[in-house]
Amino acid sequence: MAEADAGRSHGGKRILVVDDSSLVRLYYRAALEKAGFSVEQAINGIEGLEKTLTQAFDLVIVDVNMPRMDGIAFLRSLRSQADIAVAGLPALMISTESEREDMAAAAAAGANFYLVKPVSEADLVRHAALLAGVAQ
Amino acid sequence: MPLIKAGGKAADKPAKGDNSAGHLAGLTSAAADTRWSTARALAGRADAVPALAGALASEDSPRVREAIMTALMRVGNEASVKVMLPYLAADDAGLRAAAVEALQGIPEAVAPFMQALFADTDSDVRILATELARNMPEAEATRLLCALIENEQHPNVCAAAIDVLTEVGTKEAIPVLERCATRFAATPFVPFAVSVAIARISGTEA
Repeated sequence: MAEADAGRSHGGKRILVVDDSSLVRLYYRAALEKAGFSVEQAINGIEGLEKTLTQAFDLVIVDVNMPRMDGIAFLRSLRSQADIAVAGLPALMISTESEREDMAAAAAAGANFYLVKPVSEADLVRHAALLAGVAQ
Repeated sequence: MPLIKAGGKAADKPAKGDNSAGHLAGLTSAAADTRWSTARALAGRADAVPALAGALASEDSPRVREAIMTALMRVGNEASVKVMLPYLAADDAGLRAAAVEALQGIPEAVAPFMQALFADTDSDVRILATELARNMPEAEATRLLCALIENEQHPNVCAAAIDVLTEVGTKEAIPVLERCATRFAATPFVPFAVSVAIARISGTEA
């Protein structure tokens, strides 16, 4: 069972993917599950926030431009939560926005790392593993 | 998926019994609640577009900005679209999202601007512009997005267009999508997105 082995190698880490694009969610999910992560999805910041408040995750991967609640607002809200486990959840922001100001805004909102789309499967998995605290 | 229903469009709504001076004062009130309620009261008022535009430019409250965008959306004419379009390039992600949601609600008014938006030099604007086709009639959305994809050099813009086509595209898009996958073969997400889009459009999704 290659997938199960891969899962053990990633310590059963759980990742929440917050992106309004169903194609992006599918792509990330396939790549991350192939690497052994367990993946949950949310279609915007509001749904993502609800999931972080009711489920335990090791990492959140979040887009910037989303309806209802964008990724920056999501991160600000996440970081302001009273529950330290939620407020301190590692966050990888992945966006098409490639300007320095966008990255600065992401960092100010609490992103631990920022990748510009398109992101390769290898880069996605590598950064997810690093931020989720998986031994490399 | 539609984010805002455009049902409240009322560009020709009469302005009888209004209090224009009072509304202008309300939009510049120090109280966010007053600015919010004023913006809501001005929804659909074509004569209020200049005042709403001025208020939007200086508004800091996300809630009030959304109310102003909604008011402009309910006007739904060329002038109101022209006020909102520049916010697709705003530095603030929340402002960009509010503009997209409002503009998605008035696809007929936005349609004449699509070609210019797709020619914008800023790829981030072109990406957000693809979202504006989501609520257009399928044939029109397919035509616009396919024309964009055929000439677009940025993989993220193509990916955004493919995302919308996945939902609203017709079979006429399939050859364009196939060419796009070939052109961006070195960017794995694009061929992946194309394969999903074609499966959904052709009804062969697993």
